[in-house]
Amino acid sequence: MRQEHFIARHQAEWQAFDAWLDARGGRPRRARADRDWRGMDDSAVPAAYRRLTQQLGLARRRGYSPQLVERLQALVQRGHDVMYRPPPPRWRRSVEFLLADFPRLVRAERGAMAAALLMFALPLVLSYVAVQVRPELIHTLFEPVQLAQMEAMYDPAASKLGRDSGEDLQMFGFYVMNNVSIGLRSFASGLLAGIGPVLVLGMNGVMIGGMASHLQGVGLGDPFWRFVAGHGAFELTAIVIAGGAGLRLGLGVLAPGRRRRVDALVEGGRRGARLALGVFAMLVVAAFIEAFWSSIGWIPAAVKFGVGGALWLLVLLWLWRGGRDRHAA
Amino acid sequence: MLDTVREVHTPEGVALRLPAAGPVPRALAWAIDLAIRLTLLSVCSAIFGALGEGGMGLYLVMLFLVFWAYPIVCEGLFNGQTPGKRVLDLRVVSSDGAPVGWLAACVRNLMRTVDMLPFGYACGLVSSLADPWGRRLGDIVAGTLVVHAPRVQAQPLVPGAEVAAPRVALRPAEQAAVVAFAERAPRLTPERQAELADIAEPLTGLRGADGVVALQGIANWLLGRR
Repeated sequence: MRQEHFIARHQAEWQAFDAWLDARGGRPRRARADRDWRGMDDSAVPAAYRRLTQQLGLARRRGYSPQLVERLQALVQRGHDVMYRPPPPRWRRSVEFLLADFPRLVRAERGAMAAALLMFALPLVLSYVAVQVRPELIHTLFEPVQLAQMEAMYDPAASKLGRDSGEDLQMFGFYVMNNVSIGLRSFASGLLAGIGPVLVLGMNGVMIGGMASHLQGVGLGDPFWRFVAGHGAFELTAIVIAGGAGLRLGLGVLAPGRRRRVDALVEGGRRGARLALGVFAMLVVAAFIEAFWSSIGWIPAAVKFGVGGALWLLVLLWLWRGGRDRHAA
Repeated sequence: MLDTVREVHTPEGVALRLPAAGPVPRALAWAIDLAIRLTLLSVCSAIFGALGEGGMGLYLVMLFLVFWAYPIVCEGLFNGQTPGKRVLDLRVVSSDGAPVGWLAACVRNLMRTVDMLPFGYACGLVSSLADPWGRRLGDIVAGTLVVHAPRVQAQPLVPGAEVAAPRVALRPAEQAAVVAFAERAPRLTPERQAELADIAEPLTGLRGADGVVALQGIANWLLGRR
């Protein structure tokens, strides 16, 4: 078939497809709302796209002019973008993700999570015990200025616990910027063969353990525990989960198993990113509690510990049972 | 390594050609984005600064969003293009040529943490120079790649209204050469135009300015203006 006949035969369909892409290809939601469309029917588009790919193949095979091939190629490319675009995010799903999918994902990675917990809890306990036994060891961890600052933060006479100065909202912003960044980084740095999360978990464990032990030792234990009881449930678990996701990613570099290394990485990245979304949510909640609840100085210890215990129970129950019944159904 | 075009075969059996972008245009796009982000932050600091210490908290939240969420949201919403990438006609696509999804956008931007190490995106630079399709580490993990995506533009009108069929059938490469000549001719001196058109004398049978006009006529015919 000569090129002119080929064009004459299919021209109308190409133009219709082009018009459909212009009018309805970009924004599916708006396109569905628009009922006055008189061009190519939506249901006819996949078939038209497949015919177009076949025509492109023919045009190439028969050596038609480069201009025609280029035009068809551009149409196919645009059609491909529309046919294979990812589904739009459904915001209603986000609640379901947090309640069910995220805990399920954490349980599915229980090996990595257990390893992360060990890497965090072991240094924490060790440094706590070490500073209890030999209090001078704290000076290897913190400068004297930092120690003085810390002791001032938990001064029982102050109206606000856990900070030098600053309003609740300011501290909320600070906790979001600081803590969430640490969480996301400890996941991402797992790509360095898992070294990143090991360092983050270990160092945080040593610091927190040493600090708690020191404050307990100098008699500021009560305000300290009253401060951390509230947000610890969300913050500590979130750091462990972020570290676990990072370890999982690093495992893809070190031991990809029977997959190509890049496939193991892509898989680890995809699961890790979903875990990181959950970690993000947890840390924002933790920042909120830390800024607006934990810092209130006058609430008696019994109430603080009661709420803290309830939150720990809630988090553990959520991670343990969340999405379980749905899985069985 | 020399051929940076990635050919992807779609399920329909045609090859899509994805021209991968190298580190230089990507760094430029990043710099433009950085300028936009800094502008955004300075505007915010002016607004929130007036609100006192609480405003400082909002500013820090904003800082977090600009640092972490800006590239993810832009790539997710605007079909793989941050404003900087749009200026430089770059686009993030999935490695099978499909538009990038939200999850992949999350992964590739979270992994910037690693690409930035040890300073100034050194890891990302090494990775994108070593990879055949210029992917940084984040792209490899996310299964994405950055391609040149020039905006589709209407074919420029070739000057010279007449349309003439060539006397002999032209091969594809010859057709491309004639069309390329007609598109570039307005930017050349008349002497150079004539010099180039003289090469095609066996086709047009003319020399000098007449040859140029005849060749443009053939180009018009090839472009389907008949």
